[in-house]
Amino acid sequence: MSVAIDRRALEPWQDPSAVPFVRIERVTKQFGDIYAVDDVSLSIFQGEFFSLLGSSGCGKSTLLRLLAGLDYPSSGRIFIDGADVTDIPPYQRPVNMMFQSYALFPHMTVEQNVEFGLEQERMPRRERAERVGEMLDLLKIGELRKRKPDQLSGGQRQRAALARSLAKHPKLLLLDEPLGALDKRLRENTQFELVNLQERIGTTFVTVTHDQEEAMTMSSRIAVMEAGRILQIDTPTGIYEFPSNRFVAEFIGSVNLFEGRVMQRDGDLVTVETRLGRPIQMRCPLPLALGKPVTIAIRPEKIRLSAAYRDDAVNQIRGTVEDIAYLGDVSIYHVRISPDQVTRMTLANIQPQTEQELTWGQEVAMEWSPTSGVVLTD
Amino acid sequence: MPPTARPRQPGRRLSRLVNIGIPYLWLGIFFLLPFVIVLQISLAEPRLAQPPYTALAEWLGDGVLSIRLDLQNYLLVLSDDIYLAAFMNSLKVAFFCTLLCLLIGYPMAYAIATAPSRWRIPLLMLIILPFWTSFLIRVYAWIGILQTSGFLNNFLLWLGLIDEPLAILYTQTAIYIGIVYSYLPFMILPLYANLTRLDRTLLEAAADLGCRPFRAFVRVTLPLSRAGIIAGCMLVFIPVVGEFVIPDLLGGPDTLMVGRMLWTEFFSNVDWPLASALAILLLGLLVIPFVLMQRWQLAAEDPDR
Repeated sequence: MSVAIDRRALEPWQDPSAVPFVRIERVTKQFGDIYAVDDVSLSIFQGEFFSLLGSSGCGKSTLLRLLAGLDYPSSGRIFIDGADVTDIPPYQRPVNMMFQSYALFPHMTVEQNVEFGLEQERMPRRERAERVGEMLDLLKIGELRKRKPDQLSGGQRQRAALARSLAKHPKLLLLDEPLGALDKRLRENTQFELVNLQERIGTTFVTVTHDQEEAMTMSSRIAVMEAGRILQIDTPTGIYEFPSNRFVAEFIGSVNLFEGRVMQRDGDLVTVETRLGRPIQMRCPLPLALGKPVTIAIRPEKIRLSAAYRDDAVNQIRGTVEDIAYLGDVSIYHVRISPDQVTRMTLANIQPQTEQELTWGQEVAMEWSPTSGVVLTD
Repeated sequence: MPPTARPRQPGRRLSRLVNIGIPYLWLGIFFLLPFVIVLQISLAEPRLAQPPYTALAEWLGDGVLSIRLDLQNYLLVLSDDIYLAAFMNSLKVAFFCTLLCLLIGYPMAYAIATAPSRWRIPLLMLIILPFWTSFLIRVYAWIGILQTSGFLNNFLLWLGLIDEPLAILYTQTAIYIGIVYSYLPFMILPLYANLTRLDRTLLEAAADLGCRPFRAFVRVTLPLSRAGIIAGCMLVFIPVVGEFVIPDLLGGPDTLMVGRMLWTEFFSNVDWPLASALAILLLGLLVIPFVLMQRWQLAAEDPDR
């Protein structure tokens, strides 16, 4: 049974008896009559790499600032490590933040920047020097210690900012778009480095990002936000495979949506009637009333495409290939299934492209199994 | 980084020359030329004629050009204690006025820079508005305020804080009040320009790292506004050292300041060479420390370059 125990340790949110490390309780933040954060409740566990994901203006950065104490909530409470910190000023919270602009002090060297927080703690000089050295080594920027921020490259600045925010050994590290200012190549390498670093030091990380790929790669769990509210909290797999609503399904990756009504229910198998020919059968654990309007969401890579139309297949829609985009590893097919709907699917190019049978204008059949998608009610 | 080699283009060089040339020409005509004239007068001797000084170079005939440089003016200024006292007093007044302007002006500039953006322009207008009235008239107005039966004394008597009027006008205090009032905008404006550019997230970062607001001000805001402080202090200190109108109108007859001394030598005694020597020494007194400071600052900014 060791497997089950491991799973609990790795996924504390599955364990009802686990005590959350950060608890946000019904927090609302109003600016004038705009609700930047609207009645959000959230639990984050010790050692998690938690991401707040959403487009700009969704309230993710405000939520992070509330955790840091740079803004105070209009209502609701925030607990960190059991203590109510709602009214505690930022300089007394056991929390540090890495700012999106890095906010390195331009008049101080890298070393002085990293040392700054330790000085405020009145840590003895010897200990301070030791800790600074430790941090610079951890982020491999020891040789830059005497440089000022304007003598650093973007990636070096990011490391210096990270070293500074980790120097005080915070209980909770907040990262506002930590990789936002880096170019694409550097960003991809840094993603993995950041995850390795977090695993090594064991600090709880909360990051804000608008980049879904970044959130998927790094996070233990993701909270998808929109208009000040949290729409879904789940693991990257959960968010991708089992989105709980249309917004999340469309925000993460691409998805094909088919609208219809519930026609029949048999255990957890529902049959949905659509305008696209034969009814579609899907696995769905939710109790759904007959006649209820629903949306079926299928990811592009979950659809099989074939030239032959089979009568015995469960879910099958006919269409015409309209566009093929060859990306090397995969190809994206656009298939028109009705005058006003085009479906998108990706097929791995297992065979060299030249030998593939599907071409423009061809009549094709699309198939998927009842477990390859979800039924959404909103 | 090595400079990138660029192909020479004659048209480009010409436009560069014009671009650099115009400001130099301006400096040459309006700064260097007057300076040379004053320097030349300071080395001449006074005489009762038009102009009231002797020429430096004289053509004596037979191929003899006589150049007479009279250093007596300088020797007189350096040997007579009254000039030294005037210099020292001017420097003292300028130093304390600059300090007072900084102490009053910094909080004002900070308040304007951090005010909601719709308030900034009106507040700045209030700082600039007095300039719409002549400087001289504003200084005269202070006579009305400070004199024995003036607004200030009447107000303090009415409040019952004093029993008889204070003698403020025609004292050193009146000079300080007048100078600080007149030069405060020159302190506020460069400080404001500097403080509005301060990135507020730096203060948030300081707070996040455990720094209380006052310490954050000392460790972050103050060092980052150094350029504004230096600019404001220079804009106040330099003209105040040579200030003549305010001490003349508000100060007593025994106030010794270089500016007044210069005026007296120039217009009352009609000793242009002595006045010029005073001016040249004053210039040296002001320029040399600032050149040294700038050098020191450049060295401090780039220790390893």
